[in-house]
Amino acid sequence: MDFTFLLGQALTNGLIIGLLYLLMAIGFTLVFGVMRVVNFAHGEFYMLGAFSAYVCVTKLQLPFLAAVLATFALTLVAGWVIEVVVLKGFRGDELNGMIATIGLAMILQNGALMVFGPDPQSMPAVAEGVVSLGPVMLPMSRLYVVAFSLAVLALLYGFLMHSRGGRALRAVVQDIEIANAQGIRSQFMYPLGFGIGVALAAVAGALMAPVFSVSPSIGSTPLLKAFIVVILGGLGSIPGAALAALLLGVFESVANTFMSSSFSDMLLFGFVILMLIFRPSGLLGKAGR
Amino acid sequence: MHNASTMQPITGAKASAQARPATHGGSWKAWIPALLALFAIPPLLAGNPFYVHLAVLICINIIFVNGLSLISRTGQLSFCHAAFMGMGAFAAVICSTRLHTPFAVSVLAGVGVATVAAWLLGAVILRLQGVYFVLVTFCFGELFRLVLLEGGDLTGGANGIANIPPASIFGVALDSKLSFYFLAAACAFASTVLLVALFKTPRGHSLDAVGDNPELAEASGIGIQGSQMFAFLLGSAMAGFAGALLAHYLGFVSPESFSQHVSVAAIIMLVIGGRGSVLGPILGALIMTPLPELFRSAIETQNILYGITLILVLKFLPMGLVGIAARLRGGKGGAR
Repeated sequence: MDFTFLLGQALTNGLIIGLLYLLMAIGFTLVFGVMRVVNFAHGEFYMLGAFSAYVCVTKLQLPFLAAVLATFALTLVAGWVIEVVVLKGFRGDELNGMIATIGLAMILQNGALMVFGPDPQSMPAVAEGVVSLGPVMLPMSRLYVVAFSLAVLALLYGFLMHSRGGRALRAVVQDIEIANAQGIRSQFMYPLGFGIGVALAAVAGALMAPVFSVSPSIGSTPLLKAFIVVILGGLGSIPGAALAALLLGVFESVANTFMSSSFSDMLLFGFVILMLIFRPSGLLGKAGR
Repeated sequence: MHNASTMQPITGAKASAQARPATHGGSWKAWIPALLALFAIPPLLAGNPFYVHLAVLICINIIFVNGLSLISRTGQLSFCHAAFMGMGAFAAVICSTRLHTPFAVSVLAGVGVATVAAWLLGAVILRLQGVYFVLVTFCFGELFRLVLLEGGDLTGGANGIANIPPASIFGVALDSKLSFYFLAAACAFASTVLLVALFKTPRGHSLDAVGDNPELAEASGIGIQGSQMFAFLLGSAMAGFAGALLAHYLGFVSPESFSQHVSVAAIIMLVIGGRGSVLGPILGALIMTPLPELFRSAIETQNILYGITLILVLKFLPMGLVGIAARLRGGKGGAR
């Protein structure tokens, strides 16, 4: 157990976890960018995604890939409907919109408690075996997570950068009034942005379901991590979120190897608070607001 | 950057409600006897200790939410209000159990610690606004809980501190629920009167002005930082006071008693009761405190109802339940 081995293993694990945080944080950033609302229910969509994958695989006997796709489609539709039914009146209303998502989070979490019960469920692993890269060991199940996350991120990049809908969505994020003036139908962009954002959280949940256990309370930790990532990366900045997510994953993984996890959490929160005070626009954000 | 445009709907709603205290200033003379009568009900139910217990919790929550409402009226929504409650509670308990100070001194120490902490934190975070303030206070609340968990012997870690001596004033031990109720009710009443009095002074008007329209307030010569700091200090001190009371009433404190859920619960009480009115926290605490205790068997259904209520109130009554009364009075006023 030499130092470089430990460090190498921690770095690899960190990048894997970081990819997951990235899926959470990009969805969160997208919702904030489009609606100007901090989505406190984001973690509950992670939880719903995990349950959706669990039900698809164990009850409906679907293959894992189909389960992830079904999860994405279901939560996209659910997010669309929720946006139109619940959040429509709060578009662009930072404070009340945020409080409304707290109510939404309570409804979703307790709804899941009623349907699935409080006990953690476990899901069969997607793949068996271990791959070794030099001295670093990687379980196949985690490599699946990496492959899926990268595929989802590539698809998202393609959609946002090279499709009509994606360009319209980005225009709405940049300046809603100019976007409207250019003929973009923002009434479709709000539910679309919210739906894609929460569907990304659900995919993250679905990917992690075979690795961790599934229960109605699993959403709070990813939500907190998404908060941290978007603060570090700058609210509304996707490249910033990408950098911060990977850094956070690596930091956590390395720190947990060398110190107690609650101490590393304290360091992290202290750093986040300093960051908000001295550079609220984030790592890659433009200075000054 | 987006604050100016996106805060408009809230400030608009608030501004219309703010006209009320001026036009209905006399209504407080009618409210105060009603309030006193309300506080007099629980002793009549003394035969049922459960009701008295609920009444004590309601009184403590009134003080707690009053503090939050003060901060929110300057335009900042604090997500770490429970952290200041926890500071007050733990500081008071540590004084009581280790230094064996009298109850009143312990409570003062708790309030002092919460106020100093609020001053230190407020000095650096109050220049953040809107979402950024929310996020930084959320992170601070989580940091505070971790510090309590890692506090070792001093805070008792995850187990917290038990066997806290009961409150006593002038040598009289308030060790029964009913006797503690009188203390809690007096404090809740005093904190409400304090807010009513404050919002009748120019200082109070300047707090509302900062919350309604910071740019205009600043242009009129009201310091935003100073006003928000004043509200943050006084509000957090009230939270610390509520925490010290709660700890000595329950005889037990733990980090989970002051987690983010408690901060969020306070925000829910405030929003449902009504922001922008001194009556809001009272209504919110009165309605939202007993519900979880009364419906223990169906906690999920009840939480779902909470969530639905919260969204409906935000949608249709942005001024909270107090807004209903205001709307009725407004209707009458229009006919006149």
